[in-house]
Amino acid sequence: MLYDLRHSDLRVRWLVTLLLATLGTSYLFGAWMVGLYAGFSPKRVAQTYGPNGELMTMQMPPETTMVTERPVAMGEMVEEQHHVDLNLLVQDTHVHMPMYAVIAAALAVITLGLSLSRSLSLAIITLLFAAPWLDFAGMWLTKLVSPGFAIVTLAGGWAMALGYTIVAAIAIWQMWLGRKTAP
Amino acid sequence: MKALILGAALAALLHITPTVILVKRQDAVAHLLPGADQFSERELHLSSADSRKIHDAVGWEPPDGVVTFYVGKHQDQTVGALMFMRVDCQHGPLELAIGFEPTGSVRGVEVTKATVEMKPWVLEALRAGLTDAYKGMGVNDAPAGANKVKPRIGSMPGYMAELIDKGVMHANAAYRLFYH
Repeated sequence: MLYDLRHSDLRVRWLVTLLLATLGTSYLFGAWMVGLYAGFSPKRVAQTYGPNGELMTMQMPPETTMVTERPVAMGEMVEEQHHVDLNLLVQDTHVHMPMYAVIAAALAVITLGLSLSRSLSLAIITLLFAAPWLDFAGMWLTKLVSPGFAIVTLAGGWAMALGYTIVAAIAIWQMWLGRKTAP
Repeated sequence: MKALILGAALAALLHITPTVILVKRQDAVAHLLPGADQFSERELHLSSADSRKIHDAVGWEPPDGVVTFYVGKHQDQTVGALMFMRVDCQHGPLELAIGFEPTGSVRGVEVTKATVEMKPWVLEALRAGLTDAYKGMGVNDAPAGANKVKPRIGSMPGYMAELIDKGVMHANAAYRLFYH
């Protein structure tokens, strides 16, 4: 333990509690947003991040331009299926990876102040950083290799939730609820 | 700790704000294909030669290799065609709807989506009359809406106007090269 959250100043414990509450709230809204735009099933994630024709076109463009025409109702024209194409995925990765790194770092700093074994701390810190890597690796593999990799993105999302829940539960317990032993 | 705070601030600055709808697609269709009650979707999967052709013309090609036109008809008479066009920048995506007359000129342009951050800039450019500049322009003409409104608006609204010009230029090129 590099510092001891359990016996830290009230202000530090309050700060950590508010940080966890704020992150937890943003995670809940994050899950809501995922539900709205990408879904929680491998099929829907694959539809959101999968090639949708663009990579097939990139790898095997037709010899001549192919034109298809079909009648559509107004509803089909205005309804959009949320799909992340290659350009948007580049942009998403660029803007979200730094944010994920900062969140993982903040949770890792809290972990360092918890009364845990060295190996358990290492495992939690690894989980905190592995989650965003899995999340984005899954998106890229779904896009570039196979829609089957959507499961990796789902694993990343659940790993993020698991990492947060572990850190938040242990931190709240040790800071406010658990019996305080002498440092 | 300093690096951590700096990193957090940087990440917050880089974060793209959520997308908001400025004009519902349904309303854009009604404005740009007036009177149309039958619609068809014309989808073109571009060959590499055609992708190169549009890239050479305007420095852009559709990211998924697909160009989609929506054609509106009334009593089997073509009312016009419409394209939805996305323009990306570091502040996020803009979505435009560009309508074409059956004669091939631009009927009108609507900005259907922007991000929360970009919305006030886009609205300022629109209030200055940006989209009026596109009405009736030929698909061979270079869009010059930004130059017309820039003297009357701020720098970021001016930048938005340039992006909208760019989107119109891409749509015009797609129409000119592939519609017929």
